[in-house]
Amino acid sequence: MNFDWQTAWDSVPQLLQGLLIALQATALGYVLALVLGLAFALARRSHQAWLRLPVAFFVEFVRSTPLLVQLFFLFFVLPTVGLELSPMWTGAIGLGVHYATYTSEVYRSGIDGVPAGQWEAATALSLPRRRTWTRIILPQAIPRVVPALGNYAISMFKDTPQLTVITVAEMLSVVKALGSQNFQYLELITMAGLLYLVAALLIAWPVRIAERRYRKENA
Amino acid sequence: MDLKAQQDGGNLLERLRDAGEVRMGFANEAPYGYVNREGVLTGEAPEVGKAIFRRLGVDKVVPALSDFGSLIPGLRAGLFDVIAAGMFITPARCEQILFSDPDYNAPEALLVRSGDAEKPLTLQDFAQRDDLRLGVLLGSVEVDVAAGYGVPPERVVTFATQAGGIDGLLAGRADGFLLTAISLRDGLSRRPGVPLELTEPFVPVIDGVEQYGAGGFGFRPDQTRLRDAFNAELHALKDSGDLLEIVRPFGFSEAEMTDLTADRLCRPAS
Repeated sequence: MNFDWQTAWDSVPQLLQGLLIALQATALGYVLALVLGLAFALARRSHQAWLRLPVAFFVEFVRSTPLLVQLFFLFFVLPTVGLELSPMWTGAIGLGVHYATYTSEVYRSGIDGVPAGQWEAATALSLPRRRTWTRIILPQAIPRVVPALGNYAISMFKDTPQLTVITVAEMLSVVKALGSQNFQYLELITMAGLLYLVAALLIAWPVRIAERRYRKENA
Repeated sequence: MDLKAQQDGGNLLERLRDAGEVRMGFANEAPYGYVNREGVLTGEAPEVGKAIFRRLGVDKVVPALSDFGSLIPGLRAGLFDVIAAGMFITPARCEQILFSDPDYNAPEALLVRSGDAEKPLTLQDFAQRDDLRLGVLLGSVEVDVAAGYGVPPERVVTFATQAGGIDGLLAGRADGFLLTAISLRDGLSRRPGVPLELTEPFVPVIDGVEQYGAGGFGFRPDQTRLRDAFNAELHALKDSGDLLEIVRPFGFSEAEMTDLTADRLCRPAS
């Protein structure tokens, strides 16, 4: 088998551009997933049925349909009702909303993990509900789920190739574009794979540190 | 394995005759090569290919579905014996595989929205007007055509699929979709009633050189004898006029018939 190092090396600048776009989509999407996920988790514990039930339905709906289908709708169908977002924002929102339904479950497990005594103590002290959440429950719930939340950043990053269908020029679409010119897919895929690996490890790094710190604190 | 090492032109034709079957690589792209509702491989290229292989004494065709981008690597890796996908003959591809002479030439056209007030009609319109975005297929020759006509990259939208291009046009993601007239005509025929229309077909000219979109059959680089035998039968079909009759049901016309050669198309534009 011939592996053409020259081609592999020459493709790197263009692949890096694609990688940058993938990372950008991941970063935007992840912030959205963190914020929206918490909002979903809180809404699902709300005493107001008008808030709890639609959110529960929405979360289950999004979790039960493929990201690809959601991206397709956001990109091709929303403009027909007058809402046109750029491909990058469409991708970031698609990824963010999709993963928010997963992070909301992570937050939920964190919240459920706070001992019932903490709720009872807050009630005994007649703390307002908002104060109970922001000062008692969430400060205990969130640190323990940081590693699990971090894993979804990596997972989201690996889903960025799906953004090709909405014309975002992420790394695998660069592979396809270059490959259709020189047909040296082996070299291109190999280099893209290596770059994905390096980037994913870099994302995983702070996650692992947070994980270790949490374990040490709770040892 | 160095495929060029085999200098005697290869014996694949004899082996195919012995086996009685040929494996045809296709990318499921109507009307070039696709599986129809009955589950049979058909389309412009497979039908021409079947007719020629029958004349060469190989009666049975085994379909081998592949991603378009994987056709050339697949052929070289021996997953199938011939590419029958209406693949355009380009100098870059000629460095990888052998081509038969083209069995058709496909002029380009633009698909645009019928309702637009100032409909773009030419690639020059897309180069000059800042308000227009041009749709192309990811990794297609049209990407280079757009660049050659001076359409800036930030106004070129690359769709992953042909259907995506048409949907994108309908959704206003692009204002025109550049592809061969044949593909666009076929796409339109599958979605009757959509408010889209085709511009006049044209052969793109970049730096004074005509950019032919002429498609042929791909063979492994060492199989010159099979390619030559195939070419001889292809020319016979052209001369008798049978070729046009075979491809007419797939939307091809007199305008798509060509006398271009693979030799000419493989030469890099100087």
